[in-house]
Formats: sequence, structure tokens, C-alpha cells
Amino acid sequence: MIKAILIFNNHGKPRLIRFYQYFAEDMQQQIIRETFHLVSKRDDNVCNFLEGGSLIGGSDYKLIYRHYATLYFVFCVDSSESELGILDLIQVFVETLDKCFENVCELDLIFHMDKVHYILQEVVMGGMVLETNMNEIVAQVELQNRMEKSEGGLSGAPARAVSAVKNMNLPEIPRNINIGDINIKVPSLSPF
Amino acid sequence: MSDVVEKTLTALPGLFDSQTGAARITNRLRQLIKSITELTSKHDEENLIKQELSAMKEQVSSPNTTMKQMREVMVRAMYCEMLGYDASFTYIHAIKLAQQGGVLEKRVGYLAVSLFLSEGHELLLLLVNTVLKDLQSTNLIEACMALTVVAQVFPKDMIPAVLPLVEDKLSHPKEIIRRKAVLALYKFHLIAPTQVQHIHGKFRKALCDKDPGVMTSSLHIYLQLITESPDGYKDLTGSLVTILKQVVGGKLPVEFDYHSVPAPWLQIQLLRILSLLGREDPSTSELMYDVLDESLRRAEMNHNITYAILYECVKAVYTIHPKAELLEKAARCIGNFVLSPKINLKYLGLKALTYVVQHDARLALQHQMTIIECLDHADYTIKRETLELLFRITNAQNVTVIVEKMLDFLHGCNDEHTIIHLVCSG
Repeated sequence: MIKAILIFNNHGKPRLIRFYQYFAEDMQQQIIRETFHLVSKRDDNVCNFLEGGSLIGGSDYKLIYRHYATLYFVFCVDSSESELGILDLIQVFVETLDKCFENVCELDLIFHMDKVHYILQEVVMGGMVLETNMNEIVAQVELQNRMEKSEGGLSGAPARAVSAVKNMNLPEIPRNINIGDINIKVPSLSPF
Repeated sequence: MSDVVEKTLTALPGLFDSQTGAARITNRLRQLIKSITELTSKHDEENLIKQELSAMKEQVSSPNTTMKQMREVMVRAMYCEMLGYDASFTYIHAIKLAQQGGVLEKRVGYLAVSLFLSEGHELLLLLVNTVLKDLQSTNLIEACMALTVVAQVFPKDMIPAVLPLVEDKLSHPKEIIRRKAVLALYKFHLIAPTQVQHIHGKFRKALCDKDPGVMTSSLHIYLQLITESPDGYKDLTGSLVTILKQVVGGKLPVEFDYHSVPAPWLQIQLLRILSLLGREDPSTSELMYDVLDESLRRAEMNHNITYAILYECVKAVYTIHPKAELLEKAARCIGNFVLSPKINLKYLGLKALTYVVQHDARLALQHQMTIIECLDHADYTIKRETLELLFRITNAQNVTVIVEKMLDFLHGCNDEHTIIHLVCSG
């Protein structure tokens, strides 16, 4: 079972926090701080697993984390989960975010925290892994997006226009996960 | 593209601002976030959030606030709570959103409720009727949302009220609903096992579901039930072995492949369950030898996920009644892990050795040199794991060396928790 999923940036600022076991508010913040402390002192060439730290439940719990540019994705799990399996699950989650947000970056997580939660809900439900196939997850999310679009009408237009512009047929859009820093990174291409 | 598109992107929201409230709505959230990122001190952040929270308080109590605006307030409330500030005055409104709003309001309301409230919270009782209604809705999305909330945060005492509806969903035509219903029932079993005892038969049906996704979900339940008492489920061994054989043999639809590996997470789950069933039981173990051999053979590719499967295979081989050829193959596998330059594999190799050492101390001694090297490894996690291993292979010959190394480690260790844990296990 997954006890918690924490996403924070290189300075420890939380970007998405999901606990699957109840902790009081101040306890949650302490756990975030402790986890950040543990995870940020790791080098880049060490393994992706850590003991859970005293606050989150001690020896039966592990932290499995991945570091992508400015963000740490940390899953706190108990011994019933496979470490490498969870590591790949994090990758699936990030790839799904990339598909749903079109070259996801930290900004997307900041401004669309609720959307990220909806996506996460299709991957992990109540601490249990629900779906591991990226295309299935995206399909579920698309289903929900359609109801947003149908409610939209004119008010949906700005969102649609922006995504239409983003979707213009541009050559050489880098397909690797480019979770960059705060500035919107737009690939420089030859002018029209 | 850069100039033209960036200008367009920044100008668009402004263009529509005057015409609709929607862009204005999301702008408030953007404004808040932008302001926070510009601040440098915690004190300033506190002040800003306090201001924001009192503005939100006014908004939620005003009768003129529309559902759409309430949605937006809720997202801001979630953002503030994530940063550690109390927005409990919004909790009741979250419930109202889920109760009274359309699908979009429900979605935000349910999300907010699952983030803010705990199982024992008194406000949750107000949600029960809404959940009951949504569970019966013909709208697929509403039913899904209700199932999700039920699996995340639902008052224990109200489970009997909702149980028949969730049970019902086990025979729903849509696969996603059946899958979510299975996990919801698993959650119920965890928090109130006596309430779900009578429907264990339905779990079997889920296990035989034509859709592999539903079957995979039911394995969560079975892993739990079998961990609690394996004897009652030995009869499942045959079916589980068959399922694993089919998966490993590539009989599942190609959508279940992950990097050309067929349903790896499912394989891992099955291997765990089988190892519990075969433990200390020669006749049950007999049924599994073939498929374990096959899994060990097939998982030869170089991807993280195949190593995950191999690891579970190896553990299974050492848990169940021993068979010489399998043990040999598994031992070789562990050797490869421990000697691997890939650090995650080294870690798993050490973990496997720690597990295996109770059955076969020779394997650890075979890799003694590598283990000693790992003690000086730069990675703290590896060092720790090595120490755990060393405890278990201490004998009269090497005890001095090992204790010396341990003391060295403890001296250099800053983590109180680790020290206590290690000293106690010692």
C-alpha cells in the first residue's frame, strides 16, 4: 500500500501532497519537511530508495523517489509494494502528466494542482494502485475533460484557443520530459 | 515560433477577460500563486495567505457566489491547505459543492473532501447521502467519483449503508466501475473486515472476471486475505498458476504490455501470492515450480521492470518448499544483482541476500568480498542494507571484523532512528 505521495521542488516547496493515511495538518507539514530533508541530501548517482524516516512510520515504510530537474516525486510505501515496480509507476505517472499537459513542467503542477490530483486519482486510489497503463489513465482523464469542454461554451474558448496554439504543427518539439524551471521554455524555431 | 506564440499565449486570457467570468476566475488563483512565488519571507507569505483566506471567507458566506466561483474558491483553499494553512471554514462548502453542484462541482467537492477530511470527521456523515445518490447515478463519471471517495475516506459506521450498492457495482457492464468497486471493497475489508465477510464469494467472481484489470484489482484483496491466513486459499493455487502461465506466455492483449513485458505489475502480484501459498507446503509448491522456472527464464531483458519480476521470482523460490535447480538459478540471479554496477540492483541484491541468508548462509559468504566493499559505499542506503545483512552472517570467524565495521558506521551515522533500529536488532 502507498501511504503518501509527495511532490515538491528543489527548495522543498510542496507542489502536490496526497496522504492515504490521516495525519493532522502540522504533522503533514513536518513530514514534508523531513522527507525533503532526507531526499535532498542524496546525490544523483545513488539508489532511489530510502528508509521512511521516523515521522512517516519507521522501518516498515520506504521512500521511493525520482528526481526530475526541479521536482522530486516521492512515494512512501510499505513492504507490500515492489520497489522497482513503484519506481516504474512514478515514471508512468510522469509520462501521463506529460501527455495530459503536453510537455509538462513545474508551472503546470503549480497552476493546475487540481488537474494533477484528478490524474493521480486514476493511478492510485485509496493507497492502492488502480491502473498502470498510461493510455488507459489518459482515456479516463479525457472522459472527464470532455464534460468540462461541454460546460465551457464561450468560457471554454480561451483554454481551447491556448491549447490550439500550443498544438500547432511545429517541427522538432523535444519529446523528452522537459520539466524545466519557472520560465516557459518554448523551442526556438524558424519564423513563419 | 517563440515571439509570436508567446505573445499570443499571454494576450489570450486578457482578450476574453471582459467577456466572461471564467478567465477572471482562474486569474485569481494565478494571481495568488504568482504573488506567493514573488515573496521571499515566510512572514510575508503568512500575511498574504491570511488576507486571501479572509477574502475567501467572505466569498463563501455570500449568497451571491455562484457554483463556478465556489469551485474556484475550493481550489484556492486546497492550495492554502497544501502549504499548511488552515482553511477549515471551507470544509462544509466542499460537501455542499458535491451535494448540490453539477458534475464539475462534484469533482472538486469530492476531491476537497478527500484531501481535507479524515474518516472519523463528523462532517463526513453529511456526505453519505450524496455518495449513495451518486453510486446509483447512470452517469458513469458520477458513479466513478462516488466509488473513489468511498475508497479514500468514508465513515466506518456507515459502511453497511453503502455496501449493497458497491457490491452491486461488481456486476456492472463497465470494466472501470467493476475495478473501482473491487478496490472499494478491499478498503472496507481493511477498515471493517467483519462487515464484508459475507461477500467473499463475490471476490472469487472478480478473480475470474473476463477483464484482466478487474482480476488484477481482486489480487489486492487476495494478497491481504492470504497473508492473514493462507490455508483457506490453497485451492486457488491452480488457477493462479494458470493465470501466471498465460501472462508470462504473452496471452494477454498487447495493451497490457509495458516496454514489451506482459503485465509486469500483475506478475509481481501473482508471484507474491504464490510464494505465500507455497510456503512450508511441498504439495502446493510442486504446482509452481514450472511457472517459476519459466518466469526466471523469460525475465531476461534489461529493464527495471524485468528486474522487479526477477526479484519477486527469486524471493518466491526461496520462500516455498525448496527445489535444487530453481535455487541454483535464483542464486545466480542474486549474484548478478549484487555485482551489478546499477545501484538499484545492488540494493535489491543485498536485500535478497538478507532474506535468503536464513535458508542458505553459503550464498552470502560466497559474495563476502562484495558485501564488505558495500560497507564503504558512498550511498548511505546501501551501507545500511549491508549492515542488516552483516548481522545475519555473523559467525565465530568474522564477528570481530563485522562488529568493528558496525561501530565505525554507528560513529559516523547522524540518523538517530537508524542507530536505535540497528542497536535494537543487534
